[in-house]
Amino acid sequence: MVTPMTAQTTQLSAEQAGYLTAGPGRAAETALARLIDAGLVRVSRDGLVSAVHQTNHGATTPVEARLLNHARAAVRFDAILQSTATSTEMTQLHEHLLGRGLMQRPRRRSPAWVFSLGVAVFLVFLGFSTPAFFIGVPIALLFFVWQRGRGAVTKAGKEVLRQVTASDRVHAVALYGFAGKVSGHKVGDLFDLSQSVVKMIPLKKKHRSSSDGGGCGSASSCSSCGSGCGSSSSSCSSGSSCSSGGSSCGGGCGGGGGGD
Amino acid sequence: MAGITDLGVGIGWRSEIDLTVERLPGVDFVEVVAENLHGDVQRGHLPESVRLLLERGIPVLPHAVSLSLGGADPVDLTRVEHLGEVAEAVGAPMVSDHVCFVRAGGLDSGHLMPVPRTKDALDVLVANVRLAQQNLPVPLALENVAALLEWPDGELSEGQFLAELVERTDCWLLVDVANLYANARNIGTDPERFLDEIPLERLAYVHVAGGVDHGDVYHDTHAHAVLPEVLGVLDELCSRVSPPGVLLERDDNYPSDSEIASELAAIRAVVDAHRG
Repeated sequence: MVTPMTAQTTQLSAEQAGYLTAGPGRAAETALARLIDAGLVRVSRDGLVSAVHQTNHGATTPVEARLLNHARAAVRFDAILQSTATSTEMTQLHEHLLGRGLMQRPRRRSPAWVFSLGVAVFLVFLGFSTPAFFIGVPIALLFFVWQRGRGAVTKAGKEVLRQVTASDRVHAVALYGFAGKVSGHKVGDLFDLSQSVVKMIPLKKKHRSSSDGGGCGSASSCSSCGSGCGSSSSSCSSGSSCSSGGSSCGGGCGGGGGGD
Repeated sequence: MAGITDLGVGIGWRSEIDLTVERLPGVDFVEVVAENLHGDVQRGHLPESVRLLLERGIPVLPHAVSLSLGGADPVDLTRVEHLGEVAEAVGAPMVSDHVCFVRAGGLDSGHLMPVPRTKDALDVLVANVRLAQQNLPVPLALENVAALLEWPDGELSEGQFLAELVERTDCWLLVDVANLYANARNIGTDPERFLDEIPLERLAYVHVAGGVDHGDVYHDTHAHAVLPEVLGVLDELCSRVSPPGVLLERDDNYPSDSEIASELAAIRAVVDAHRG
């Protein structure tokens, strides 16, 4: 049975909210959730995803159409999420969010950021002992902050994302992922997905070199990241707390876009 | 045969639709393709869905596609043994395969090939069936296939061929009414004559499936809706005998749960119409 989609006052679709929350992997999960919700695909106990009809009828977005097309022959849950997350259609969704000013090209954290942190700390101590060196402290700190990079979601993006709530099971996936929890309930349970299927979603692998739009590592990564942060999405949306802590999440949840 | 006198209406269990099969109302029994159950089945290592169905008391019948009992090659007893292990793992009252061959000279056809309906071919089939029966823990039922060709120099009609097979091996019959319809369309056989000639008292159960026209040929795809004409053949069969069970086979292009439920309901309506 199709879940009545709650009218949310944001201008974001659930798929877009998923992308902003945790990147292309989460958007792929959200598209799949919407199709399951609409009865257009089914997932077996072993995690085989198959389209109910052999047409793209019922798809409401290019990402959904891509997913439906892929599912005409049964395909594993994790494989279809990965291929959808890395698809051209997902890149187009990313471009759309960039165009709306909800996302920005992230500046990746430099691998040398720990070194610059050390230099900054050293200069701070030096400044205390020798006031003439205080001039170097703000410079070092600014350099350090720049090297930390910046998140993929803009302030405007965080603002609209803050208005999204898990008012139905599809939005629950957008915000928390199949592996997350909402109101104490596992989101996967809302779709009758067994935990063995939910665990197919690969965990985040550390890598900072994926290209824009995300590689799939970002896809899967984001789901784990998302669920981690999802429990406190409001703080994530506000940004800094999650993104600063999310070493394993690259841009972090608040930064959205995971691997972006 | 004890335990299969009233199977009811069932559906082929396939991993892609396992949750659908579990959810569908009115599924009285299921069939599993024995070759699709791998691993340590004799130790009860069955798919979770199949275990759940068994726990609900739903009979699970193994159906094989690879014994090649109509072939001239010796029967591969490891395949027979696997079929028997599946039967024991699910506590099945019977197993089934087809009157066909699927390999010859080391090549697999990838298709259920019809057997020449000659006395010589029948002798080979009978010998193979007997050997399989000796190595199976439960009775064996054999199914008529859909054929796109008839071998030349046939000496028996399909019904006569199966009747003699039953008489000489005491096997059971699994009648596929969709295959009867396909053969009528493609090679001009007569389903009513077939039903007249087979020993209906040895009917184990019935298969129903969908197909599609492709030019002048009807393809028994198991991936399309069941045609009214196929239900018509089922109706003809039910007018002669009350089948112990009728099973819907769907192997691909799975429709929505509600569409599958509708097909099962249509089958049940035909069966019930003759039970008064």
